[in-house]
Amino acid sequence: MSYRLEINNVAKHFDRLLLFKKIDAMVEQGQLLTISGENGSGKSTLLRIIAGLLKPSRGDVVYFNDTLRLERSQLCSMMTMAAPAINLYDELTAHENLTFLATIKGSREKHRKIDSLLEQVGLARFKHELYGIYSTGMKQRLKIAAAVLNDPSFLLLDEPFSNLDENGRQIVLQIIAEQRRRGCTVIASNIKEDIELGDVRIELS
Amino acid sequence: MSYLNESFALLKKDIKCELRTRFAANAIFLFAFTTLIVISYSIAPYRIDEPHRPFIYATLLWIILVFSAFSGLSRSFVKEAEAYTEDLLRLSTQPEVVYTGKMLFNTTLLLLLELLIVPVFLLLMNIRVGHAHYLILLLLFGGVGLSATTTMVAAMIARARVKGVLFSALSFPLTFPLLITLIKGTEKSFMEADIVHWDEVRVAVAYIIVIGVLSLFLFPIIWRD
Repeated sequence: MSYRLEINNVAKHFDRLLLFKKIDAMVEQGQLLTISGENGSGKSTLLRIIAGLLKPSRGDVVYFNDTLRLERSQLCSMMTMAAPAINLYDELTAHENLTFLATIKGSREKHRKIDSLLEQVGLARFKHELYGIYSTGMKQRLKIAAAVLNDPSFLLLDEPFSNLDENGRQIVLQIIAEQRRRGCTVIASNIKEDIELGDVRIELS
Repeated sequence: MSYLNESFALLKKDIKCELRTRFAANAIFLFAFTTLIVISYSIAPYRIDEPHRPFIYATLLWIILVFSAFSGLSRSFVKEAEAYTEDLLRLSTQPEVVYTGKMLFNTTLLLLLELLIVPVFLLLMNIRVGHAHYLILLLLFGGVGLSATTTMVAAMIARARVKGVLFSALSFPLTFPLLITLIKGTEKSFMEADIVHWDEVRVAVAYIIVIGVLSLFLFPIIWRD
């Protein structure tokens, strides 16, 4: 199976404010797309459009599995996103959050993977602590773990390295490397080293 | 099966979060008990003429239940929006699963409220129920019908600025036909006369089917836009 993501002539404006226009890109299996730009240039907005959380003013985003165009309903189990504006549940522990996500994504067999994933992101010791009391760096690690829990074919990450220490950064880099073998990856970031990871790049002005 | 498993996972998650925060339960139960105490002190049984009692008691009972429900059930989606977990759900599962899971949670809360409030109400107002089975069916189907409607409205108002006002304004006309039916049926259950046709229970079941089917069609549009 080979996954592909196409962004076709996408534009977005809020009332009269034009954020971006004529955005085109194609991300093949194993490739990484980076979206960069100054604050307010619309990186997160474009990522939300790619995720289907926001409608573009013009153009469209299409997901493919080989030549088969994927419907929105199929993407729930194949696409995930981690972003500062997407939270996990404060009232649940790390383990409970991941168990819940594995179940509603219809991948109950992933329950076995939860412990090894928590180990990988360095949160195994804190797996029974409430997410609400985690530090911002720990929260970021758990968000990344939640995003790759069901081995997504399409992984979208908004500022994936924010609030992470050097060890956390290495863990996320390793996760991204694993994801590149599995499917398509999209990262929105401002940091030069992150942008240089990209095989395909979009720079918003 | 997967649809039901996912809906029950959402229900389980909401119950767990509710038990740890008592976000909706506090609002609903405090409102219900306060209203109940005020009513029982101000309109004690002896202040109402015997022939009018069944109708007035039935009306008061459903006023307590409906307005208590309105005070807490609107929070089901507002809470997700305020905690920034709404998009997590949106990306993780189908809209129908979200609607069913939230409706199951609201139904659980409402049935729990009925289980606590109705016996106390009957006791304080000294009501002898003529047809207990009819009252139980009305409470059951009434609870499901109310939660089916309020879940849908809660999703609509989650991103509005004046959530409380909008929730009541939208919920009231939608639940009005059900409410009138439930009051009429409850009045019958408080009386000794025989119940022949079970009209109110049938109307409540029909209401649930109509609202349920409409919600499953409309909810994905509201949820995704």
